[in-house]
Amino acid sequence: MQREVGTLPLAPALRARLAAAGFQTAQELLDTGPCGLSKEIGISREEALEALQVVRQECHGDAARTAGESGATRRCTALELLEEEQTQGFIITFCSALDNILGGGVQLTKITEICGAPGVGKTQLCMQLAVDVQIPECFGGVAGEAVFIDTEGSFMVDRVVDIAAACVQHCHLIAEAQQEQDHWEALETFSLENILSHIYYFRCRDYIELLAQVYLLPEFLSEHSKVRLVVIDGIAFPFRHDFEDLSLRTRLLNGLAQQLIIVANDHKAAVVLTNQMTTRIGQSQSMLIPALGESWGHAATVRLIFHWDNSQRLATLYKSPSQKESTIAYHITSHGFRDVQPPAVTHSAEGTELNPRKRPRTEEEEK
Amino acid sequence: MVVLRAGLCPGLTEDMIQLLRASGIRTVVDFVSSDLEDVAQKCSLSYKALVAVRRVLLAQFSAFPANGADLYEELKSSTAILPTGSPSLDQLLDSGLYTGEVTELMGAPGSGKTQVCLGIAASVSLGLKQHVVFLDSTAGFTASRLYQMLQAQTEDEEEQARQVLGRLRLCFVLQLEALQRIQVVRVFSIYELLSALQELRDRLSQQVVSSVGPLKVVVLDSVSAVIYPLLGGRQSEGLALMMQLSRELKTLAREFSLAVVVTNQVTRDSSTGPLKPALGRSWSFVPSTRVLLESREATWDKATTRRVASLAKSPRQPTGIQVELDIG
Repeated sequence: MQREVGTLPLAPALRARLAAAGFQTAQELLDTGPCGLSKEIGISREEALEALQVVRQECHGDAARTAGESGATRRCTALELLEEEQTQGFIITFCSALDNILGGGVQLTKITEICGAPGVGKTQLCMQLAVDVQIPECFGGVAGEAVFIDTEGSFMVDRVVDIAAACVQHCHLIAEAQQEQDHWEALETFSLENILSHIYYFRCRDYIELLAQVYLLPEFLSEHSKVRLVVIDGIAFPFRHDFEDLSLRTRLLNGLAQQLIIVANDHKAAVVLTNQMTTRIGQSQSMLIPALGESWGHAATVRLIFHWDNSQRLATLYKSPSQKESTIAYHITSHGFRDVQPPAVTHSAEGTELNPRKRPRTEEEEK
Repeated sequence: MVVLRAGLCPGLTEDMIQLLRASGIRTVVDFVSSDLEDVAQKCSLSYKALVAVRRVLLAQFSAFPANGADLYEELKSSTAILPTGSPSLDQLLDSGLYTGEVTELMGAPGSGKTQVCLGIAASVSLGLKQHVVFLDSTAGFTASRLYQMLQAQTEDEEEQARQVLGRLRLCFVLQLEALQRIQVVRVFSIYELLSALQELRDRLSQQVVSSVGPLKVVVLDSVSAVIYPLLGGRQSEGLALMMQLSRELKTLAREFSLAVVVTNQVTRDSSTGPLKPALGRSWSFVPSTRVLLESREATWDKATTRRVASLAKSPRQPTGIQVELDIG
């Protein structure tokens, strides 16, 4: 293989020694063998053997991929991706306006970031999503489990109980309206205890625990393969106080973002992060911008900013690869995250078939 | 700095190598730069044999000079200019993307870099019927958005298909074929990226036509996402890997006449400083053309945002030109 030594994942000290000794391609390393290598560079036989193992693995991986086997690479044509995307579900938020601007809901395999001032509803949306991801497929959900990583301590179980109870009741009403067998079967497993037992909760107190938790996620997710949502509530909090070295912070955050993208992609899960706001003081005015700096803005694929407008809560879609920028209003009721006005009542019969999770609203439920 | 080994060239035997090594000559550079008469005396080897070996080694390992006229002819026959799918961007880039060069798009989050990349992939695949390789490191590639763009572009070309019966089906077939010509590789770390580039190079040089086809564009979105976790701190490993990556990209562009498009982030020096491209001064020498994408709020109508592209570095046009982009 013509792989350059500099591109192989070896330790920097070892790489420096190899370069000084004059090795350029991986083939030369493999030709020399472990004994010759340890003599040339001055390392022990075991280290030379280990290094050659790594090189051989990389080169065999390359050769297999060149020959056309799919292997473990994530390589496919755009057509296959389109088919995959069209069959992928979304995690709905129970606020149809928000679902519309997101293109159907929170997308799987992407990172969504929610920024907002304190008290605007970020944690409420996270708790709503942790319940909504478990909605069975016949009601339009993805039937998955949720991982909730909490750094601020704002996860209130009583609130989740309220939200879950409202969700279960909503599904009951749909099942009554449509009267299909599989709806009733699904409802047997969709109960309050089940919902709560499928939210895996982790509490991280500082950035080291958070990093460790994220790097251990792949193992956890391979044991619990039904997880479809990972929420990190408060990714800004551990990184904002007590951090003197800002370049270290940038590096850690970028490494964290890449690790989260790998998790989202490999396990087909949606990753939702919440961020705080900070003030930027310009020449004449000051404005609120998301915290953690410019480079963090590139980490999330979809960015939502929640803000106030005279006691009305608004959500703006700032960054998305497939939807236009727009702003909608939302409400937080005792049942959870909801629209401001109920959607228009559809009188035609096809209304119920089009949207399995919506039911025709009756007068007494409108608030 | 290649180590001298038996079999490197016909006259070089194992005993010769041992003798040379005993007198301190281990690599090709040492051999070629040493005084051969001296070496012949010290190692008691024949002077003629050493001269013959040196000639072969020089032929094998040195670069050949070429004159400007030959270079011009070669470039004229092998360079192509590819349309980016957006006429205003083509105008900025002096009629399009040039093959054999690395072009960089930089911008703040949400400024439209991924959209422009998708537009380029759609236009090259649909309009020119060439293959595209899309290396995605941010999971921002959305196939449904690409499909939307293809649909918008086939509507423009509908005029040509007007005479053909079953026009709608033809458009659909064209779009499907275009989607099949775009290959997406997801790479989330620098080593995965380097091995994907190496694999691409192997496939191109072995000319496995069926999988890659007539490849013209390689898009890398984004380069800063994979390099940022390594830069900074006390180790210089990040910088070395970044330079390795730049060498791979440039070799790919030059050897196989591809247009390489790269996207980059922007950062600030302090919280109020001006925006500047990420990855520092070392990376700024790698792309030959740099375009900055910005989105500005139109003051009279808050609902629409204007997207502006300005030329920050170009070998052909004066810098500072600005055009408005329309991302459908």
